[in-house]
Amino acid sequence: MADHQPRYFGARVARRQDDRLLRGHGRYVADTNPAGVLAAKFVRSHEAHAVVVGIDTDAAGAVRGVRAVFVGEDFAGHEIRCVSSYDEFQESAQPILAVDRARHVGEALAMVVADNEYVAEDGAELVIADLEPLPAAVDVDTALDSGCAPLHPGWQDNAFARRRAATAGFNEAVSSAPHRVSIELHNGRNSGVPMETRACIAEHDPGTGKFRLHTTTQIPHLIRAGLSWALGVPESLIQVIAPDVGGGFGIKAQLYPEEVACCLAARRLNRPVKWVEDRREHFVAAHHSREHRHTVTGHFDDEGTILALEADISVDMGAYSVFPWTATMDAGMAMGILPGPYRIHQYSVTSVSVCTNKTPYGAYRGVARPAACFSIERLVDQIARQLGVDRVEIRNRNLLTSGDYPWRSSSGLVYDSGSLVESLDAVLELGDFEDLLKRQADARAAGRLVGVGLAVFTEQTAHTTEEFKQRGVPIVFGYETAKVRLDASGTAVVSASIHDHGQGLETTLAQIAADRLGLDLDSVRVEYGDTEQVAYGAGTFASRSAVLAGGAVTKAADAVANTLRQAAAHMLEAAPEDMVVETGRVSVTGSPSRFIKTTELCRLIYQRPERLPEDIEPYLEASRTYDAHPGTGAYTNAAHLASVEIDPMTGKTRVLSYAVVEDCGPMINPTIVEGQIFGGVVQGIGTALFEEFLYDEAGQPLSTTFADYLVPVMSDIPDLRVAHLQTPSPHTVGGLKGMGEGGAIAPGAVIASAVEDALSHLGTVTVNRLPLTPERVLSYIDAATDNGSRP
Amino acid sequence: MAEISLTVNGQPTKAQVDPRTLLSDFLRDHLGLTGTHVGCEHGYCGACTVLVDGASARSCLMLAVQAHERRVDTVESLAHNGKLHPIQQAFKDCHGLQCGFCTPGLLMSVVELDATNPGCSRDEIREHLSGNVCRCTGYHHIVDAVHTALNRTDERAEDG
Repeated sequence: MADHQPRYFGARVARRQDDRLLRGHGRYVADTNPAGVLAAKFVRSHEAHAVVVGIDTDAAGAVRGVRAVFVGEDFAGHEIRCVSSYDEFQESAQPILAVDRARHVGEALAMVVADNEYVAEDGAELVIADLEPLPAAVDVDTALDSGCAPLHPGWQDNAFARRRAATAGFNEAVSSAPHRVSIELHNGRNSGVPMETRACIAEHDPGTGKFRLHTTTQIPHLIRAGLSWALGVPESLIQVIAPDVGGGFGIKAQLYPEEVACCLAARRLNRPVKWVEDRREHFVAAHHSREHRHTVTGHFDDEGTILALEADISVDMGAYSVFPWTATMDAGMAMGILPGPYRIHQYSVTSVSVCTNKTPYGAYRGVARPAACFSIERLVDQIARQLGVDRVEIRNRNLLTSGDYPWRSSSGLVYDSGSLVESLDAVLELGDFEDLLKRQADARAAGRLVGVGLAVFTEQTAHTTEEFKQRGVPIVFGYETAKVRLDASGTAVVSASIHDHGQGLETTLAQIAADRLGLDLDSVRVEYGDTEQVAYGAGTFASRSAVLAGGAVTKAADAVANTLRQAAAHMLEAAPEDMVVETGRVSVTGSPSRFIKTTELCRLIYQRPERLPEDIEPYLEASRTYDAHPGTGAYTNAAHLASVEIDPMTGKTRVLSYAVVEDCGPMINPTIVEGQIFGGVVQGIGTALFEEFLYDEAGQPLSTTFADYLVPVMSDIPDLRVAHLQTPSPHTVGGLKGMGEGGAIAPGAVIASAVEDALSHLGTVTVNRLPLTPERVLSYIDAATDNGSRP
Repeated sequence: MAEISLTVNGQPTKAQVDPRTLLSDFLRDHLGLTGTHVGCEHGYCGACTVLVDGASARSCLMLAVQAHERRVDTVESLAHNGKLHPIQQAFKDCHGLQCGFCTPGLLMSVVELDATNPGCSRDEIREHLSGNVCRCTGYHHIVDAVHTALNRTDERAEDG
């Protein structure tokens, strides 16, 4: 630690990267064109499930400017496997280009490489794929039906994996509970849909055998690891570079077949090969997420205290297990976090991760937590309704309180800290709960449908070894790495294994390093996104980067500061333990006039080695890893409160107000935290109201343009309100907790609660399905009216 | 191939293009103006927005040959003498961007809004800019930035 008050930690400093991005000087993958680059275009399956009888590439190959057309056999021996260590996990092999079987619409069948993208598209249009359709398993029930043939060779059925867990006292608690309520919940299939589609440029140096891949990824080192396996070359012969990336949200945290294909094509053709995904491809070939179905049952006493929770979880994982997550990640997270913020001692849960003929399923901001929050919060609302207890009161009776921490949940997670009751209290004030209820009453009197919804949740963040070793993943995402180097000019370069694609880490990591080294923020540059900058790491996902990279930067900067102290002590003829690193200088404690400027010290260390003692090497650099021991996670919590109005004629739901109180511990930069919350909430509102990948019965996708797949636009969203609590984690450097995903977790539960509330005076209806499209809301209005008019 | 001549960011420009070349690809690949981004290629997301004769246009829905003898302005035209345009500065001050991919198109839409409807309210801003999709920010800080930029009193005369 620099031996003074931090100047930057906690400050709302402007972001370092904004200048270049605002000027149009960002450098995204598609902006780069190496000399001699060729363009690739993929021909994709138009059938959900089919035998690949043959692919005729003759006409495509004859197009002037087409350099090669590849089909599955050309890349035989290469595939993507991601095997879970769970018992009885059934493995899938995702081909780079389909060989004998196509398993979802959008699966790549052929690759056309040409002088430019226009010619590549000309060629792709002429590729003729002879596909013999097979029955498609488009939903989990069909896929698990005993009459449905397994989608992969050697499988017993279409479950990637089934899991089960229960606490010892579960049955006893159920029999002692006087009340129960069950609810089945459906979450629509959707995804992060970043504004930049995927893209990559593969280069291969025939002299050294080395690959270089520029790609739109959040996880450069993991992509290198996956490529090493898929290509069969050592990691030392692969460099992965992720420059500016236009949004990720989990969708770009995966090794995709196209990345492997471009590497293989570049080696074959001895030319750089570039692929830029178009938006239609993105909707069918970039992974999907969120499609959970849960049946949850709460067993409770007369006061509404939850005595036991029961849950059955099924997740539609699509056609393949994706790297590096496996096909069980979502089910595992849902099983773990479903009891949520409540004092639930007894729990029984089953899950099944199902293989279907849909686009493969991967991570999206929140990973299963939005579905888990939807389930538990909807359940708690039903308990409140059944007992006639207020929604806030029922929560206060069950929420964990500060005295409960550390809390070992009934699923085995260890919650380190939190402020659940406090955040709920605070959001009622921030969002003017009393006023919302008054407005609701007035609106109702005028015949309008206005409702108020709320939700509370806790979220595991920055979890590492202890958590991921239990998730069955082949690579345990245990730590991040940072390197800090001070140069002879006295400026610092911080390199990190995480990536910044909007989260502002280029700024927040600089804030940390500047404080530790006593530098001005402008004297610190943060770089990331290149596997050759630091040795290893996992990357940016799971609300981990500020905590883990922040901790690693802290450790590395402190090591460099230590060398500064030792060198300064020698030059000032003082003891190293008496040296203090201050802003711009290192001085002798208690003798502020005895100091050396940091810039001068840096210059002397590099350029005047004769001034150094023998035991100090002439450089200022340190690499450190950080794992946030014990790795069980730092728990962020939040409460959300919203009001909505429903148009009774169209069923369209409009969000009138939305307030969030979040506790992510101490904040490095509150403005950036707020931006992350706003962004998460609006993606969550998309999940709640608009976004869904629909399929017909044959497995044909019905949402392949922005006209079908609706994302929230500016006029859909009101001004948002946010306030903070700051309960530090006992586990992490600086008490930091992660927060990148949190905003997206609760909106589904909140909006559903509000819609149900808006209809409550018409009759009883249970809102259990997302997204709440106008059509679905109209059906809820009809159901409520029917129920209400019954004698 | 077709010969076109147009003015891009104030520079007279002549080029030979394949008639099917999109304006967005022409700007990016032929002129190296990669500040204009392509997000959907079907005219929805607004990332590729440029000004054609001062009016906003989707450069992914326009052919380069359609820009013949017209004036095209991209995000690269905004900063002057190294200094950010006041709209860019407002985005920086208000944290109006995260990944930055939608930002250039959004800025061009705001330039048009500033010229046609300065001083508009937050609700009007949300309505006018609903053709520019952002997935990162949740829009709140963008509305802050645009509201700040459109209600500024300084420098307006000189940036016109």
